[in-house]
Amino acid sequence: MEADLIAQFSAIVGESHCISEPDQLLTYESDALTSFHALPGLVVLPRSTEEVVQVVRLARAAGLPIVPRGSGTGLSGGALPVPGCVLLGLSRMKRILEVDLDNQWVRVEPGVINLEITKRIAPHGYYYAPDPSSQQVCTIGGNVSENSGGAHCLKYGFTTNHVLGARVVLGDGSVVDLGGPVQDPPGYDLRGALVGSEGTLCIVTEVVLRILRKPEATRTFFATFPSTTEAGNAVSYIIAAGIVPAAIEMMDRLAIVAIKAATGVDWPDVGAALLMDVDGTAAEVEHTAAEATELARKAGAIEIRIPRDAAERETMWRGRKSAFAAVGRISPNYVVQDGVIPRSEIARVLEEIARISNEAGLRIANVFHAGDGNLHPLVLYDAAVPGQEALAEETAGHILKLCVRAGGSITGEHGVGADKAPYMTEMFSDDDLATMNFVRCSFDPEMRFNPGKVFPTPRLCGDKPGKYVPHAAELAGVAGRG
Amino acid sequence: MTTVHSPSSIEECSALLGGSDDRIGFVGGGTELDLGPPAVVDTIVRTERLARIPDYAPADMVIVAEAGVTLAQLQSTVREQRQMLALDPPNPERATVGGLVATGAYGPRRARYGAIRDLIIGVTMVRADGVVARGGGKVVKNVAGFDLPKVACGSLGTLGMIANATFRLHPLPEAEATVRFDSLTPEGVFALVKRARDAQLEPSSAVAISGYSLAFRFEGFAKGVEQQTERMLAFGGERDDGSFWPRHVAVRSGGTLRVRIAALPSQMVEVDKAMAPLLAALRNASFAWYATLGLGFVSGDLDDVDGATGAILAARRSFSLIVERAPDEMRVDVWGPKPNSFPIMEQLKLRFDPRRRLNPGRFVGGL
Repeated sequence: MEADLIAQFSAIVGESHCISEPDQLLTYESDALTSFHALPGLVVLPRSTEEVVQVVRLARAAGLPIVPRGSGTGLSGGALPVPGCVLLGLSRMKRILEVDLDNQWVRVEPGVINLEITKRIAPHGYYYAPDPSSQQVCTIGGNVSENSGGAHCLKYGFTTNHVLGARVVLGDGSVVDLGGPVQDPPGYDLRGALVGSEGTLCIVTEVVLRILRKPEATRTFFATFPSTTEAGNAVSYIIAAGIVPAAIEMMDRLAIVAIKAATGVDWPDVGAALLMDVDGTAAEVEHTAAEATELARKAGAIEIRIPRDAAERETMWRGRKSAFAAVGRISPNYVVQDGVIPRSEIARVLEEIARISNEAGLRIANVFHAGDGNLHPLVLYDAAVPGQEALAEETAGHILKLCVRAGGSITGEHGVGADKAPYMTEMFSDDDLATMNFVRCSFDPEMRFNPGKVFPTPRLCGDKPGKYVPHAAELAGVAGRG
Repeated sequence: MTTVHSPSSIEECSALLGGSDDRIGFVGGGTELDLGPPAVVDTIVRTERLARIPDYAPADMVIVAEAGVTLAQLQSTVREQRQMLALDPPNPERATVGGLVATGAYGPRRARYGAIRDLIIGVTMVRADGVVARGGGKVVKNVAGFDLPKVACGSLGTLGMIANATFRLHPLPEAEATVRFDSLTPEGVFALVKRARDAQLEPSSAVAISGYSLAFRFEGFAKGVEQQTERMLAFGGERDDGSFWPRHVAVRSGGTLRVRIAALPSQMVEVDKAMAPLLAALRNASFAWYATLGLGFVSGDLDDVDGATGAILAARRSFSLIVERAPDEMRVDVWGPKPNSFPIMEQLKLRFDPRRRLNPGRFVGGL
């Protein structure tokens, strides 16, 4: 990037928050999906809505695409830079601006870490419900972009169910509010369109989130099974009994081995395990916990452990939430997949995955949100073996197609990003995608923000008849006309 | 001259919308036709023959229903499996899936389960040009692509025809009970809501009606419901005799004038003050307040047009207020001021319906 332009961005955010040295830019070349990487032209770290506005205006004047980024924990390449872009890092906007316990909401900046919100309000008996496994490091801005889920979304819903409003900066630098603490502002549900749009519509600079009162009681139990079939049956029985667990997580043998190696939990070597929370009022929980454990036994549970205290419960959950990283202990490399299937298909799909694993000659560990059929198969490989990385990617792709064939989705919570854009056509027709693009063009007709993500083939907005104005995406070489 | 069509398939809808330049309006059960200024249309598409349930997977707790399926039909289908769509707006016998989505429907249970936007997981829309587009899917957890189902919710038939929708279901509660408190002040209503929350009770609904009577509904497994009911009774309430919820329905579906006001739950005192002049301008007037959501409804028979109009304009200085129903002689802006995000809404309308043929003028800002 030209020195003159860098100087102009520096003038907005301050020299120390404007990164242009090639070796420093390397830090930002990918998110947690490291197999995709590209160098941004510049990284800017604004501190306020006003600075974001100025950055957007300047990038627009220079014809540069903008890619937003939080903590970079995303697993779909959503924060992957477009080569030469302005990478807009929001990690310095990390203030909790307002807490309204009476009305159960908080207003925060996008760089606030997910878990920080609960930490702030927990002393008053409140919490923020969506809990992605990366919640100790991931930002709310990223959660809004990806519509992040987490183990406890089965009962309490996803990020989209907890975002009441957002303040955003549009491609022309204007600032608008989409919703707010007061429910149901007249007009289209634009905050609904925003959540999960993967940074392609605008830059979020403030978010209003719903917070919940902590339930009176929570019971956790950990049940082991001979195989995933019995564990899957237990899940089905529990759901069919009318119980909505706060969370119900399954791990298969390989995942258990990895978690034990990484965290030292004293779990037995079994074919499958379930980790489950039920919560609510005291009498309700007493009933649902007793019923659920009984149903787990009926389904063939070998052993049911109930944590003795909060610390033990914490350890059990830390084991589950560290599963992805733990797999690093048993394999030099692995691909994390994120697919969804109807819950009733779990047993059949797991058998298919085992078959795919055998055929490819690659081990696959399964960790997943069993209550909502959100699978996270981890395809293990060794990058030192020629061809194995490609084989692992291909195998992960087979699993995705299997999910779609079973009536599910190519992503439950990690997003489409750069990684899964080619798979969108497995789920959606050209007409579906063109219609989704209407939403994008309504917000960002110049396709300034995060071009090249979500959609399999770059689509332009096709407005502005008359004088031809090249799009940011075209200038970046990721989209063409015709 | 308005022509009326009742297509029985999505293909027919596609041909109808794409095959002419007519301005088109949509009618389901006709329960919310008063919402928004009346659109001048050439063709009305009725959804009564789109009344199938193409897919219901009890084990997955997911159902697909066509636009013309009534809420009561849907509920009776899933009730056999001890499930429910956790949505309780008025008029379930008449209200249809298409209309519920188009109006962003909800009832008191929204306090626990959310509105229709929180329950919808997939949608099929027929665009103005006849193109059929789907968004979402058939699984509850799904972040592939933009959230078209949410865009459809509350769009009042101005972006496209809602041909079918897919919903997540909930288990039918084993038991249900309502505890009612009478003769409360507005301060007293909010104080009780807070007290219940501090006590970690989990009502599925909390509604106050003029007077003020405040009702908490508990639902779930019998033991839990009984325990919560007992604890709430200890705060001085009594078991409701079944009369409260019909009174609530009367407020939400009755009257020649009906408005909806939105505020923060803690602002009940101010809302109560702001609504007093409007209530005075109506006969048989009543006010229902969703106490944990901050949404209120005033309805009654219009006596004093000028008084009511003045009261609405005054209330709008402090609160968001929508006129859900008004007699023809009343001249008042139904939606109130345009939000600062209106340019995006206008773009959305123009992208979906560039010739403004679908329910023209019925939505916010003349969309």
